[in-house]
Amino acid sequence: MITVRNLHKYFKDLHVLKGIDLDIHEREVVVLIGASGSGKSTLLRCLNFLELKDEGEIIIDGQQIEPKKVQLNKIREEVGMVFQHFNLFPHKTVLENIIEAPVHVKKINKEEAVETGIALLEKVGLRDKVDVYPDKLSGGQKQRVAIARALAMKPKIMLFDEPTSALDPELVGEVLQVMKGLANEGMTMVVVTHEMGFAKEVADRVIFLDTGVIAEEGHPEEFFANPQHEKAKQFLKNIL
Amino acid sequence: MSQFLESFVQTFNGFINAAGVTLQITLVSLAIGAVIGLVVALMKLSSIKVLSLTANVYIGIIRGTPLIVQIMWLYFGITQFIVLSAFWAGAIALAIHSGAYIAEIFRGAIQSIEKGQMEAAESLGMTKTLAMRRVILPQAFKRAIPPLGNQFIIGLKDSSLVAFIGISEIFNLSMSQAASTFRQLEFYTIAGVYYLVLVIIFTIIVNKIEKRLET
Ligand SMILES: Nc1ncnc2c1ncn2[C@@H]1O[C@H](COP(=O)(O)OP(=O)(O)O)[C@@H](O)[C@H]1O
Ligand SMILES: [Mg+2]
Repeated sequence: MITVRNLHKYFKDLHVLKGIDLDIHEREVVVLIGASGSGKSTLLRCLNFLELKDEGEIIIDGQQIEPKKVQLNKIREEVGMVFQHFNLFPHKTVLENIIEAPVHVKKINKEEAVETGIALLEKVGLRDKVDVYPDKLSGGQKQRVAIARALAMKPKIMLFDEPTSALDPELVGEVLQVMKGLANEGMTMVVVTHEMGFAKEVADRVIFLDTGVIAEEGHPEEFFANPQHEKAKQFLKNIL
Repeated sequence: MSQFLESFVQTFNGFINAAGVTLQITLVSLAIGAVIGLVVALMKLSSIKVLSLTANVYIGIIRGTPLIVQIMWLYFGITQFIVLSAFWAGAIALAIHSGAYIAEIFRGAIQSIEKGQMEAAESLGMTKTLAMRRVILPQAFKRAIPPLGNQFIIGLKDSSLVAFIGISEIFNLSMSQAASTFRQLEFYTIAGVYYLVLVIIFTIIVNKIEKRLET
């Protein structure tokens, strides 16, 4: 579904991604972990071209994407993204947030978008918040709306960048619950998270990123029980 | 004091008409200035060098020269090429002037919107233009209201300078009354009173709008 070959990314002199090779298959859930600053967000953002690669190839659905030659917004329609700080549109209600892109990007007619939007809100357990503005929601509710908003574009893959890191501990569960539901439905997902419980339960694969390189990857059971890389051992010890 | 009141009452009708002209030229120039301001703000933020450079030069010239010079320059300059009434020459000069300041207000408001808003919009497949129109600008406008209100009050007072190209607004009338009666102090005070009343009305309206948008 997504293939990455020899991906390099620099911020001025800072070499952030140093030759990433990655294959994400359809219906696969990949959890990306690593110390702060190791490049997790940058890698994720490269996958939907919020950051543009400096070197290497990104192939989505068999199509090699060269940012200068293609319309990036078309590709982004297929790649949903959920952010740590939700980034809901504060001037729009919950439902307006969700139907914004379907109506104005995909040009779906409004009734249909509303219908889909309400169904998605039902799915994330927020049917009663349709007409509420984001500032009236808890963090957990905001993040569930943000997930519904991304899903409204019917993406083929969903990227999550620390979706629960900004939440009070008691609100983490409700968001993870929604993400588990998605995974069970067969959504292809790449998730940056420190929730090791989620990784163990849901992930098909765990990737450990260290200073811009994939230091280790494997099945969560093996990886957590018996990490090979020294940095990975250290990281797991610190986080548990 | 009774002398002052007498002058005030005698010229009341004249000053009300003049206040109407002041209000008209202020509103027309600020409306045009707001459009100029928005366009110039977007130019300044554009990644296209020519546009941002043009915007910077415009803002630099307007901020670097006195308004009265700009009014004279426009009035005596542009009317050599096209027929333009003093009113419109004055209104356009005021618009070009306030446009530079309004541009800076809009630019600041746009830049104050969290980066995550544009990213979220782009991640949903919106082009930068669509995201600007649907996501960034509506939020930026709201944030721009208080400084815009302030700029509108400045614009109202600045409009007094078009008196010097013969537009019969408040200050122009007070000048001619002062000259013909030799009661300068009185008539410039009266002019001040009319401006003050207009500014207070403006302030109340701006506050009302701010309150309404808060909720
Ligand atoms: N826009 C940017 N400009 C400059 N440096 C950046 C930018 N984004 C990230 N970085 C730097 O790149 C490195 C990796 O960042 P990031 O991908 O956010 O790491 P992580 O998500 O793993 O914490 C960090 O050193 C960070 O400071
Ligand atoms: Mg990060």
